Amino acid sequence: MIDLVWLVPALPLAGAVVTLFAGKRLGKTAGWLASALVACAFVVATGVLLDLVALPAEDRTRVVHLFDWIRVRIFAANVDLLVDPLSVTMILVVTGVGTLIHVYAIGYMEGDPRFGRFFAYLNLFVSFMLLLVLADNYLLLYVGWEGVGLCSYLLIGFWFERPAAASAAKKAFVTTRIGDTAMLVGIALIFVRFGTLDFGSVLHGAGPVLAPVIPEGTATAISLLLLAGAIGKSAQVPLHVWLPDAMEGPTPVSALIHAATMVTAGVYLVVRSHVLFEASEVALVVVLIVGLVTALYAGISAIGQDDIKRVLAYSTISQVGFMFFAAGMKAYAAAIFLLVTHAFYKALMFLSAGAVMHGLADEADLKRMGGLRRAMPVTATAFSIGALALAGVPPFAGFFSKDQIVAEASRSQGVGVWALALVAAFLSALYIARLVFLAFAGERRSATEPHESPPVMIVPLGLLAVGAALSGAALGLTVDGGLARFLEPVVGAVLGAPGGLSEAALAIVSVVLALSAVAFAWIVWGSGKVDWLALRAGPWNSLQRFMNRGMYVDDAYAAVVEKPGKAAGRGLRTFDERVLDGAVNGLGALVRSLAAAGRRIQTGVVRSYAAAFLLGAVAILVYVGVRL
Amino acid sequence: MTADQIVFWVFAPVSIVSALLMLAQRNAVHAALFLIVNLFTLAVFFLLLDAPFLFAVQIIVYAGAIMVLFLFVIMLLGVDREEQLVEHLKGQRPLAVLLGAGLVAEIVVAVRAGIGFAERVPEGFGVVNEGGNPKALSEVLFRDYFLPFEVTSVLLIVAAVSAMVLAQRRARPVTRAEREAGVGGGRP
Amino acid sequence: MSTPIASFVVLSGILFAIGTAGVLVRRNALVIFMSVELQLNAVNLALVAFSRMHNELDGQILAFFSMVVAAAEVVVGLAIIVSVYRRRGTADVDAMSELRW
Repeated sequence: MIDLVWLVPALPLAGAVVTLFAGKRLGKTAGWLASALVACAFVVATGVLLDLVALPAEDRTRVVHLFDWIRVRIFAANVDLLVDPLSVTMILVVTGVGTLIHVYAIGYMEGDPRFGRFFAYLNLFVSFMLLLVLADNYLLLYVGWEGVGLCSYLLIGFWFERPAAASAAKKAFVTTRIGDTAMLVGIALIFVRFGTLDFGSVLHGAGPVLAPVIPEGTATAISLLLLAGAIGKSAQVPLHVWLPDAMEGPTPVSALIHAATMVTAGVYLVVRSHVLFEASEVALVVVLIVGLVTALYAGISAIGQDDIKRVLAYSTISQVGFMFFAAGMKAYAAAIFLLVTHAFYKALMFLSAGAVMHGLADEADLKRMGGLRRAMPVTATAFSIGALALAGVPPFAGFFSKDQIVAEASRSQGVGVWALALVAAFLSALYIARLVFLAFAGERRSATEPHESPPVMIVPLGLLAVGAALSGAALGLTVDGGLARFLEPVVGAVLGAPGGLSEAALAIVSVVLALSAVAFAWIVWGSGKVDWLALRAGPWNSLQRFMNRGMYVDDAYAAVVEKPGKAAGRGLRTFDERVLDGAVNGLGALVRSLAAAGRRIQTGVVRSYAAAFLLGAVAILVYVGVRL
Repeated sequence: MTADQIVFWVFAPVSIVSALLMLAQRNAVHAALFLIVNLFTLAVFFLLLDAPFLFAVQIIVYAGAIMVLFLFVIMLLGVDREEQLVEHLKGQRPLAVLLGAGLVAEIVVAVRAGIGFAERVPEGFGVVNEGGNPKALSEVLFRDYFLPFEVTSVLLIVAAVSAMVLAQRRARPVTRAEREAGVGGGRP
Repeated sequence: MSTPIASFVVLSGILFAIGTAGVLVRRNALVIFMSVELQLNAVNLALVAFSRMHNELDGQILAFFSMVVAAAEVVVGLAIIVSVYRRRGTADVDAMSELRW
């Protein structure tokens, strides 16, 4: 089955092509077809997993060569797929969660005039994402990278008649472009240094003792450039600004791309290239700082959001920040663990939010929700499960994954870093609890009558809820649990650093934090005893606005980048009109004025003409006479 | 001083003076008459140059036919009209004098460089004119220059036809009112 | 004949120059035309003189043809002048300056 791994990206690609061309005729079948293809890809991926596990643990790396792609004198790159524990984990997550989201989208996008095209884009996205994680060389990875960026643009701006959506799509593309360009430079640097872009040569050439082989400066440069691309794609500070705006896209898009898959591509890249990062002294520190800062920043900003999807967007930024934080501490298995569990509960919460909006006629403002647990009990339950998972309440998935990261922080980093990590964990529980209480608890504040969503949307929710609930326990009760051991050939053994509190003590601290955050949120937003609306209009107004506007980062960018950019554009346009066009038009005007002066020689009087050519004739005669 | 020299030096000034006078006349008929005098002097020169046929043709055709035609047209177009003396174009007269003088200077220089002022005519022209100038001319004309001869005859026909076409009055029926007003423009 | 040929040629040149000046100075179309005739005749004189000089008859033939063509030209030219006069009421060439800027 490993040899058939090419089917995994190929099936959704075929689906994309078919639905693109036959979408109108297929109608609703397009959605089922697309979902079926992704489901088949999931089945193939499972088969690959089983085959892989059958191999001995040290030997779980296979390269499937599809075809020769580029072969010039100094450079060769082929379309090769890498099958190893990390890539198999990723494709299972992508296809599994992807299938459920496809099915959900059949119900969500019902009635949309471009129904078929939506599924084409969705399938195309899944195909590119799978290519990204299955690639065996940086060039193919970059192809997938750019492909998911393109599909993200197409899907965010799917309702392009809305200027906000079109603008958000453009913002996403341009912001990630900044990172992508740096990443491309990094890839070029890899080629310069290694002469090839294959993972095998670059990452395993000298095994774990790569450090003395490549000079530290080069490793730092490469790592930081790749990190820049990861920061852009995974919406970390400072290139995070596109993700909250990307919520303009349909909810299945937010669930798939901006929760489960694309934003985690950066984490995958860092984990895959961890050998290069470790060869540099500062790269991992930078990763850690970026992750921690992002986690805190997004956590604070999430508290101030009123749009249900924007809360989830900032939450995604924060959680991915946690993943980077883990990677920065060399806890790669923990980062991937969080990636997997996050995929489940974040997708679950996004889809539930979509169900909420669907039931409230596309209302997304939390201030106008409330009391929905009575009208949509299934949705409320599913969402709450996801929220508990995110908050880190045992036995749900998030507890295990996030707890591991915090525990690692306490072990390997200083007290300050650990404290900040705890703050970030507290914040994540706080904002999600706020969201749950504002939406589902209390009394109804909405104008319309809410209703539960159709089964085609509810069933995927249920399945994801199961995943969110159980995946944590299933994959890794302890630090060196199932997933960690599975990933060991790729990311190295889990280092159990001594020091810090014991496992149990750490667990208790996490739970206490999570529960206290939930309690606080209940008091302020859930119980109805605190008039939070008045508070934020009154004394807490500036703080509220500060959080709501994402600490004004967007506004800062607008002032520093956008305004000068637009001014430069206007300046160039003036230059083009006045100087360049002026020169050309001026030349025309000059010719015209010369002609106007010149035509006065045509007086119409024959005698003048006769005099003129007689003069010429005599002059010529004189000239000839003198010459002779 | 031989006879031909006397004739030459008598008629040359006449020629020049008549040309100048033709130039200076306000009245077109007077100008035409002076031109006729000039043509006569040229005919005499032809005679001097052993071209008796051309002497005759000059008088008969040029002075006799062409200038008569000129006089007809002048009289047709109003013989009593005098040309204005005032020159509107600036510098036209000085320019004309200058160019004329320039041309003369050119010719003098060219002649001096070419044949020189002293060259006399060679003697043997009688051989060429064997049997009389017309006979000799006809032999050359109808043998060597036959094609140009035929072509010029066509040219003359064309000229005659074109003159008829160009000078035609555009006939338009004269209305009763015009006729009574005494204005006639078409057929009588 | 003992007159030098150069005299005839210079005389021809002088007449030609006078004719040229006439074309430039006069305004009556007919007089201009007569000046052109003067020029043609001057050229005929030169032709015959050179013919005598070279002991050939070609020059005389050429002068002969020149006369024929001049005759034809006069015919057509006068017809044009007549028709223009009928249109304009004047034979003044300065009055016919429509082809101007």
